Amino acid sequence: MIIDLHPTEDQQMIADSIGGMLADALPVSRLREESGHAGAIERSLWNDLAEMGLFGMGIAEEDGGAGYGLPEEIVAARELGRVLASPSVLAQMAAVHLSEDNVREALIAGKERAAFAARGLGGEVLLFDGAGADHVVLLSDTAVLASCEMFDWQSAVSMDETLTIHRSPHTDPTEDTRSPIADRISLLLSAALSGMAHGATALAVEYASQREQFGQPIGSFQAIKHQLADMRVRADAADSQTMVAAVAFGRGNNDRNEVAAARWLAGDAAISNAKAGIQVHGGMGFTAECDAHLFLKRAHTFASLGSSRRAEERRLLDQQ
Amino acid sequence: MRLIEDPKLDQFRAECRDWLQDNVPKGPRPAEGLALREYDLAWQRTQYDGGWAGVSWPEEFGGRGLSVLEQLIWHEEYARAGAPPSASMFVALSHAGPTIIVQGSDQQKRTYLPPILKGEENWCQGFSEPGAGSDLASLKTRGVVDGDHLVVTGTKIWTSYAEGANRQELLVRTNPDEPRHRGLTWIVCDMDLPGIDIRPITAMSGVTHFAQVFYDEVRIPLANVVGEINKGWNIAMTTLGFERGTGTIAHQIELANGVERLIEAARGTVDPLTNRSMIDDEAIAAKLAGLRAEVMALRSLTVASVSRGMREEVPGAEGNIPALYFGELTRRVNGAALEIFGSSALVRDGAHNWPLHYLESFKWAIGGGTSEIRRNVIGERVLQLPRGPRAI
Repeated sequence: MIIDLHPTEDQQMIADSIGGMLADALPVSRLREESGHAGAIERSLWNDLAEMGLFGMGIAEEDGGAGYGLPEEIVAARELGRVLASPSVLAQMAAVHLSEDNVREALIAGKERAAFAARGLGGEVLLFDGAGADHVVLLSDTAVLASCEMFDWQSAVSMDETLTIHRSPHTDPTEDTRSPIADRISLLLSAALSGMAHGATALAVEYASQREQFGQPIGSFQAIKHQLADMRVRADAADSQTMVAAVAFGRGNNDRNEVAAARWLAGDAAISNAKAGIQVHGGMGFTAECDAHLFLKRAHTFASLGSSRRAEERRLLDQQ
Repeated sequence: MRLIEDPKLDQFRAECRDWLQDNVPKGPRPAEGLALREYDLAWQRTQYDGGWAGVSWPEEFGGRGLSVLEQLIWHEEYARAGAPPSASMFVALSHAGPTIIVQGSDQQKRTYLPPILKGEENWCQGFSEPGAGSDLASLKTRGVVDGDHLVVTGTKIWTSYAEGANRQELLVRTNPDEPRHRGLTWIVCDMDLPGIDIRPITAMSGVTHFAQVFYDEVRIPLANVVGEINKGWNIAMTTLGFERGTGTIAHQIELANGVERLIEAARGTVDPLTNRSMIDDEAIAAKLAGLRAEVMALRSLTVASVSRGMREEVPGAEGNIPALYFGELTRRVNGAALEIFGSSALVRDGAHNWPLHYLESFKWAIGGGTSEIRRNVIGERVLQLPRGPRAI
């Protein structure tokens, strides 16, 4: 199997158009203001995102989608991660793969909305940026779509103050076995995490190029430069593995293994790079006004969705 | 990103596999010295006779003239078949040859390339010096023009497989008045010239495959200069770029096999602490699973690197990313056996010889550019960070 990771014309166009739109409409700096929290700006753009074909990107044209595949979804998810878009945007892209015809149409058109939920300890369910959502993409080791109304939501305070958490004691009885769709969603999460890892790197590189101490930019010092190089390597490793897994998906490779590796690497890259980014920013990195901490909080949120790191490790060892 | 689906490539892969299955040498391979050189040359000759030498090298010089994709497939199948590492042929096949293809004159291509592919000549490298390691541009070995010769005096170090090598890619200072990298020349040195003295160096693993080479007024024809005199730095950078090309795929697959050997051994070993298989230990399982993921990432970084390679004639600075990842991961993979298996892993003549792999693994984060230098290059040439303080 020979894989070319260079973007195709379509993929470059998707990266440019969605990346450009997100950079304008959803700059990371929006999260400094409360008006940018809880996915509020994302919700106001929902129709635009639907019109760009984002939600149905990986759905065939005869089923109402844009007719692209998983690699194109990966390109879009990476851009969403880079600007720390609300998890509900990615949840909508995931939900279309779990839904029946009429619901899928409404999701693709942006007329109904979905949000991610994760299974926590003791069977509780945690919902992220779920205000006004119709559907829940409930992730554990499996992925199922459920109506938001099936749960008894109570508001909670999130570590990531830029998004909302609701928790419900409800234990969903429909525990499925892990499906290829769960793997596909796991790759979308990996792509978003890779985007965060790249975003945190870019932020730290920019700071280290400008911030001067001892009469020169701190990025000229090896102690800083080498951390930044390691950040880039981690982001590239996660990104490359995610792309390879996406291109090979459903082509007779060991998808479970490839996806587990992507997810394991991307979770590590997003969290490690966010931590390193805070350190590179020094005292400013510890403040609320610097954007570095936003990458850390969002990385932890996305890394906690779906199967755990320990489950990925088992999957990596069990099959080959 | 896309799958390249081409029945011709599938056919090519099948042909590689069939030929390798029938022709990969089965007997024991000498560990070092002239016997190893003879073995490597004979195997190269076998590949040439079979029509498999220089898959992506130009046809007029004995290669197949195919694309980087066929070359990639060949390297993958080569490693999968358990074919011998290129070892004493490495510099010729992955350094000097590709450099001459891009930068050499027609005469130089005709002179140097066919004997490499035919397994008649092997090459060694003469870049580093005792006083010029990471700071390669500070090298002092002098080359003085005398008529139509360059007279070379000085010393080079870490020259792998110098003993018996036919030729050397040699980097010397030809203009001491120019600063650092501006007065250097890349020249082909025949290793049988008078005035060359080779002194072997034994590595910490006990293996002796590199040497220090001394030059005492060695007269090399000026016709051997590749590129222009005093313009050798760019040629050398081309050479080092190729070191990180598809030729590393064999190392990478060997590393993946190393992780599989660790997992097999952990499965088959009873943990004295629990009386169960060692793979049932959560910490050991997590470590091995992580290594497996990282080996897959290394493969994917190489796929990314090859994807770039299809679009550039000379490898760029991004090649340091898989190279750094490989060096650091190799150290960890080969150190894992000692962490997991304790004192039994210290035995050199056991089923695995973990100590040899462990001790040899240190070189991958040093040779061809230390991890620290690679981080500098990634920082400055990939991330465009400001340069650090250094001599001009």
